[in-house]
Amino acid sequence: MNNLKIAVVCSSNQNRSMEAHGLLSKKGFNVKSFGTGTHVKLPGPAPDKPNVYDFQTTYEQMYKDLEDKDINLYTQNGILHMLDRNRRIKPRPERFQSSKDKFDIVITCEERVYDQVVEDFESREQETGQSVHVLNIDIQDNHEEATLGAFQILNFCSLIRECTDLENDIDELLQDFELKENRDILHTVCFY
Amino acid sequence: MAVNRSIAAQFFMEEEDGMAPEKLESLSDKVVDLLNQAHLMTKDVQKIGNLKQVQELIVNRDTTLLDSFLDEMLQFQHDKSADVKKFVVGFIEEACKKDTELLSNVVVHLNMMLSDVTQNVAVVKKVILCNTQLYKVALKWICKSKTIREKMETTWDVMTEMKNKIKAMLDSENDGIRTHVIKFLDMLIVVLSSKTVDSDVPKKSEGDVSLDQIPQNHPILKYEELKSEGQSTFENLIKFMASPSITSVNLMATMGTMTTIGKQRPIFLSKVVQAFESLHVNLPPTLAKSQVNSVRKNLKMQLLSLLRHPSSVEFHPQITTLLTDLGATPQEISKNIARPAETSKRAR
Repeated sequence: MNNLKIAVVCSSNQNRSMEAHGLLSKKGFNVKSFGTGTHVKLPGPAPDKPNVYDFQTTYEQMYKDLEDKDINLYTQNGILHMLDRNRRIKPRPERFQSSKDKFDIVITCEERVYDQVVEDFESREQETGQSVHVLNIDIQDNHEEATLGAFQILNFCSLIRECTDLENDIDELLQDFELKENRDILHTVCFY
Repeated sequence: MAVNRSIAAQFFMEEEDGMAPEKLESLSDKVVDLLNQAHLMTKDVQKIGNLKQVQELIVNRDTTLLDSFLDEMLQFQHDKSADVKKFVVGFIEEACKKDTELLSNVVVHLNMMLSDVTQNVAVVKKVILCNTQLYKVALKWICKSKTIREKMETTWDVMTEMKNKIKAMLDSENDGIRTHVIKFLDMLIVVLSSKTVDSDVPKKSEGDVSLDQIPQNHPILKYEELKSEGQSTFENLIKFMASPSITSVNLMATMGTMTTIGKQRPIFLSKVVQAFESLHVNLPPTLAKSQVNSVRKNLKMQLLSLLRHPSSVEFHPQITTLLTDLGATPQEISKNIARPAETSKRAR
């Protein structure tokens, strides 16, 4: 199934979902990325002082803002590098709950995000009955884990690209994948 | 897709440029052109791009053309490509929603696609989805019509035949087909039961037909039969949910369906809550550990959703016990209980 529409979703659409977005795009997948948070949060000078933006702010604007605030700090902690990568992929973060796109698979990076995605589907009025599979692969929110996580997402997406009847095969695929990667995956089906 | 569409559009524009001015004026000529090109195209995306343009022109721009080009469009159901066939099924749905009278021309085609054992699974699923929409359209059409014509009777016969085939597919070997059947049964149960004052009907479904709108002495629609079919379908779905070999995906799809039914038809609420109770203590033994986690999480969400429905008040003790077992906090539970003010507002 080559034309599968895939969404990768994390909280702020900055690190985990963007790492996976970039990698999947490079490999030719039809992919979009989202965040489910009410705001976009980036680390600040102290744990209790994050930089908070709304979803309208572009990666470019965030980059400029942090560059002005403290170029050394945000270069050292890799945030500027990440924003630079992000602005090459798309203009701004997107909120999942505001998106009207329809996907075949939605992959979340954290249980809380999975819950928010499933709740969003439950609160939308179903119209077409088209099914969408939602699954969660836990990834810690740091640079190294995001890189590893993106490769795992890629591995999984490569498996589903090979199958001719995704809905019939997904259960088995997921179980094999869980065993191989030694992790638990949440999975459900929702409807548009 | 976007790239391909733009190629098709470009092609279309070029064609247009080369056409005589008087030809440009005629939508019908455009349609003929697009269809002729589509027949010659070898790439599915291009062909679908052209057919999409035709659909736009004859379904949305000028519906008077719909009748003349319907058969031409239906021919593409014999295309080799599953994607093209799926497109035709989607077109049928849109066309009938625009002009219900067309149902009598298209049902035979849908039935043919549904009955072909060699048919691609994706096409079968699309036909089931299409039936989920068109069954209620057909029922409303016949129910509201002042005079009953022969074509209504034959159309209803084919719709009924397809409905029976789809119901039998709940035993299909294919997991995805079963999921689609569950959604079809969801629609069937809601439509074949009566709307009540406490029905929580989604805005988009407000215009849908329901059992209470069907006249008791209708020449084609047999009220009592339809009513008992709604009830027996619900019982069957409850049995299906309790079957030990159900897959986790089908189980969660059925659980969602149960919640929809309970909220839209509170008359079924007591059985839905009972079914959830028995499911909770008796999860299918075939589920893997992570699937059990997914199912329990889903069950919790369904129960919280039921809790928010004003008519669930009498079942709150059972629901909250289940929720506590599933790890819901007292705060989470109380946050989801419908407030009395909300109750009276909703009950209207």
